[in-house]
Amino acid sequence: MQPMIKVENLTKRYAGVTALNGVSFEVKRGEIVGFLGPNGAGKSTTMRILTGFIPASAGSVAVAGFDVFADSLEVRRHIGYMPENNPLYLDMRVAEYLKFRAKIKGVARSERRDRLNEVLKQTGLVEVQHRVIGQLSKGFRQRVGLADALLAEPDLLILDEPTIGLDPVQIRQVRELIKDLGKRHTILLSSHILPEVEKTCDRVIIIHHGRILASDTPENLVKSLHAGGLINVEVRGPGAEVQEAMRKVDGVETSDCRLGADEFLTVTIQPKPGADPREAIFKLAVANGWTLRELTRKRTSLEDIFVQVMREEDEAEEDRREGRRSELR
Amino acid sequence: MRNVLALLRREMNAYFASVLGYVVTIMFLFVMGRTFYQIVLVFRERPMQMGPMEALFGMFWFPSLFIIPAITMRLLSEEKRSGTIEMLMTAPVTDFQVVVAKYLGAVLLYTLMWAVTGLYIFILRHFAGDAASLDLKQILAGYVCVLGMGQFFVAIGLLASALTKNQVIGAVIAVSAIFAFIIVTFWQGTTATGELAAFFRYVSPFEHVREFSRGIVDVRPLVLYATGTAVALFATTRIVESRKWR
Repeated sequence: MQPMIKVENLTKRYAGVTALNGVSFEVKRGEIVGFLGPNGAGKSTTMRILTGFIPASAGSVAVAGFDVFADSLEVRRHIGYMPENNPLYLDMRVAEYLKFRAKIKGVARSERRDRLNEVLKQTGLVEVQHRVIGQLSKGFRQRVGLADALLAEPDLLILDEPTIGLDPVQIRQVRELIKDLGKRHTILLSSHILPEVEKTCDRVIIIHHGRILASDTPENLVKSLHAGGLINVEVRGPGAEVQEAMRKVDGVETSDCRLGADEFLTVTIQPKPGADPREAIFKLAVANGWTLRELTRKRTSLEDIFVQVMREEDEAEEDRREGRRSELR
Repeated sequence: MRNVLALLRREMNAYFASVLGYVVTIMFLFVMGRTFYQIVLVFRERPMQMGPMEALFGMFWFPSLFIIPAITMRLLSEEKRSGTIEMLMTAPVTDFQVVVAKYLGAVLLYTLMWAVTGLYIFILRHFAGDAASLDLKQILAGYVCVLGMGQFFVAIGLLASALTKNQVIGAVIAVSAIFAFIIVTFWQGTTATGELAAFFRYVSPFEHVREFSRGIVDVRPLVLYATGTAVALFATTRIVESRKWR
């Protein structure tokens, strides 16, 4: 099946700045994909190109099989877009604004009323539909932006930082809403908040300095870095002996032993990739008669990966620069 | 076309959803009404060479310089500043449709304001009767002139608004440009001679208003304004599109 989004070698140069440098990716129909990257990584630029707001400098971009440059209007009919900071006409009332948007999005007159009621219900705006947008809280405004994106029943939703500036409760509400929408729409959303992406997306694309560094499911990303994350053990026993024995356990890469505040030792273990030595550690403690108080595996979060991937990239960049410098010498 | 109508409706709503639409309309009607009152007072004293409506049309410079820029200054600058232009331009509408809708909205508002001054004709009829010697054809020609000119100034104001994110700058540019256009008539009076003087007379709004409101309908000024409007709207569209090649 044709992918929903197909981006090939996308490059965008502003006066003197390269915002995107040869970006390629695909989004399949029905996927929820998260765009992850620090501020200024090129997330918004990519989205603006996808929606036809600005053109690419080079490369090709197709949405639902239509080229964004040649068939801009057709592409826009397939997209529901919520730009960064969710700009709205603050002087209009919610229902009035959405009616206007439905009209310019070409929703047929006979369906407008139904669509309006449908999205108001979906986004929980029924009660505030007659209020002026400028007087609504940020959370409600965000919903108005989402409602607008949903109006024309687009195949693809593009949401640029949908939860920025919201309080934790609102963030959770918007996240739930997005998850729900994912059942019927293909979604591309951007964020620099990691738990958000981790919780809502099927796939994550990490972008930095205008380049894609990684693209995979959150689980696979976690797996590919260090398989299991660290294992934390708290045990009472003779320090040197424990340290020695732990190191010999199958599947343990390194271990670090420290005496805690009480008599317990805190051992931090880095397992070998793919290995899970927790059972062996338990048996070891039992066999030696050591008291085991804790045996936990710390999940590597997407955040760790994000930071690590960025650091690797920055170091690589540094090396390249060094290399160039030594070449010059 | 359907898009333009939807956008136009939103423009008209915007004028009257904020205080702007009311303020400019009230200011226009206050100044024009007070002027009309003065005209009537003067006419009561002694007969004049021009008709009362012709005298009123002579006031065209006030709304041209102050009301039109107030209407147009925020049209595109505010969309850019608040970012709503991104919502607009990622909907399936063309840049030109957006520009035309904004232009038509401002022209419509301006026309409605002038339409209210049509009441003055009934007032004159009622109280002065034949003494006012109203010629409806001449008055109609006068309206054609001020509105034909007005829609050109609206296009200039819209162009100015497209140049900046700042409403005030948009207004300053519009006032300056419209003033420069209106003032040429005085430049020709002081320095120009021969061909040049004829040219300035040809483009002078004061001349146009005087001639039209005396019933001398000349197509050339209307062509001038229409051409100017087309150029300004084209330039505005290009500026809005310029985000695509900057």
